[in-house]
Amino acid sequence: MTAPRSKSIVLWTFVISVLVLLSAPTIVVIGASFTSGNMIAFPPEGLSLKWYAKIAQATELWDAFLRSLYAAAICTIIAIPAGTLAGIALAKYPIRFATSVQMYLLLPFTIPLIGSGIGLMLVFGEARLLGQLWPVGVAVCVINLPFMIWAVSASAASLDPDLELAAANCGAPPLSTFIHVTIPGVMPGIISGSLLMFILALNEFLVSLLLVDARIVTLPVQIYNSIRSIITPDLAAVSVVFVACAVAAVFLLDRLVGLEIFLKSK
Amino acid sequence: MPREQGRDVEAMRESRPVLVSVNDVSMAYNGAYAVRSASFDLERGRFLTILGPSGSGKTTLLRLIAGFGRATSGEIFINGQPVSAVPPHKRSIGMVFQRLALFPHLTAAENVAFPLKMRRHDATTIAGKVTRFLELVKLGGLGGRRIHELSGGQQQRVAIARALVFEPDLLLLDEPLAALDRKLREDMQLEFRRIQRELGVTTINVTHDQREALVMSDEVIVMDAGKIQQKARPAETYRNPRNAFVANFIGVTGFVEGTATSVSGGLVRMSHGNVELAGIMAGDAAPPRIGQSLVGAIRAEQVRIAADRRQLGGLDTIVTGEIAEAIFEGERIVYEVRVAALGGVILRVFDHDPAEHSQFEPGAHVSLGWNASDVRLYGMD
Repeated sequence: MTAPRSKSIVLWTFVISVLVLLSAPTIVVIGASFTSGNMIAFPPEGLSLKWYAKIAQATELWDAFLRSLYAAAICTIIAIPAGTLAGIALAKYPIRFATSVQMYLLLPFTIPLIGSGIGLMLVFGEARLLGQLWPVGVAVCVINLPFMIWAVSASAASLDPDLELAAANCGAPPLSTFIHVTIPGVMPGIISGSLLMFILALNEFLVSLLLVDARIVTLPVQIYNSIRSIITPDLAAVSVVFVACAVAAVFLLDRLVGLEIFLKSK
Repeated sequence: MPREQGRDVEAMRESRPVLVSVNDVSMAYNGAYAVRSASFDLERGRFLTILGPSGSGKTTLLRLIAGFGRATSGEIFINGQPVSAVPPHKRSIGMVFQRLALFPHLTAAENVAFPLKMRRHDATTIAGKVTRFLELVKLGGLGGRRIHELSGGQQQRVAIARALVFEPDLLLLDEPLAALDRKLREDMQLEFRRIQRELGVTTINVTHDQREALVMSDEVIVMDAGKIQQKARPAETYRNPRNAFVANFIGVTGFVEGTATSVSGGLVRMSHGNVELAGIMAGDAAPPRIGQSLVGAIRAEQVRIAADRRQLGGLDTIVTGEIAEAIFEGERIVYEVRVAALGGVILRVFDHDPAEHSQFEPGAHVSLGWNASDVRLYGMD
């Protein structure tokens, strides 16, 4: 009787410490954002929403946030067609240089971001595109596109290959089959991939830092710049807003893709 | 004169009722043949079943007819036209897939409407036909349901309606009943047959289920190892299997081996050790040479069993054996009888009156008897 109990105590201790470790930064930043003092601190000194009130007034933060949204939107709009077509192609057709493509898909995990960031800075600098916002979206899309491709190709691989044959059998030419059967079939992958792309672009720091100038900083860069001068609790409040955005996106993902799986015949 | 011409065309159609003609079709993957030199004709309005074990090439042949893939050699004709260059969406063929392949993001009615939309029918026509075909498959009122909200049997019916709604020349069934439980499968077999008769659509069905083939079809093709073994009406296939494979695949069949000793008329006598056996050469096979090795096939239902050979008076061939197994199947008992005099071969016998307790226990000594006219002989070469 004691052996299972001690085993479960060890297991629970392990699980709880992992949970604490994972959530500690978020909890600290959320706690700190509600402080009524003037210094960033955890546990907070008293409770207040004054720092939220302050960031609501801070136009430079809002402008930076809107710029981040804009770059993330550009990134997602490019990623959806590019990643969808590539993902379907990878999952369904025998492709030449398949190994090379798979190596490319590992790039975001193997190449340090600073490396790809500097590369992109050189490319855009040469093309005289630095100092504008949309190249940030393009750059983030280029770097993170494999995530989109993965999401879509996973969806496409689980699609019953007979569905497309059935569409052809029903009289649908190849393009109609693609529009009416293949695209709806991989929709869960497209939705989860594009939400992922959007969040990654919204949070992107290093590449933005290298590609923007002082006039068009994105939100993470704006926060970083503020930290360098003085650390005030309003930064914690901004971070919490960021976390809330991410949570909202995950919630949306669950609703949409969950719904999509629900619509499937399983 | 135009009237005369019209009559001629009519007459020609009457005299050439062949809808599908498969002409020496082979399909090889990396040098291995999935289908080898398959040829057959199918007349308009007939229900044909291609029956065979898995890997026999039956599904490959069906998919070639549907246009999924191109035959390595040979040609398929539909309505007299070669179709190997015609893509699947331009063939007027409806198909019910093994896993149904219904579109999961559409409702039942939208699935049925899909072939009509692809053919650009107007909305009124589509709505009318969808309603009519959903009623034909007894799904009236369920059109608004999503596919996952329907039971397995209802999904089958949606798939049938989708395959038939555009009134194709030909209906293909790729083992759509294989996944159903037995009761539902037997209901759906009759349902397919009813719909097929009602619409008169020419149908090719693929299955590994011999019962399904016999119940549903006008004609049965038995395939094995990529080759067509026999094409005949179900009863003919059952009564006169053309070779030992067909005899073994359809029905419960025992096989006895022997050496030909004499040929008189249709009857061939052979011996196995001390046992005298006789039978009739199967199909159109030539009479055997004396001394040729033969195998005789006898259906389980044509073998009589008794405790004493005197109870089997009037039967040509009587052997003794020992009950190896007595299998209770509900409506019948199947005895497996080991016959030592025939090299220990196991012959199966049915007892259709198992209401009483099983008559013979394993180990019991029994006599088996049958008529030589019920034994089909095949050369062993």
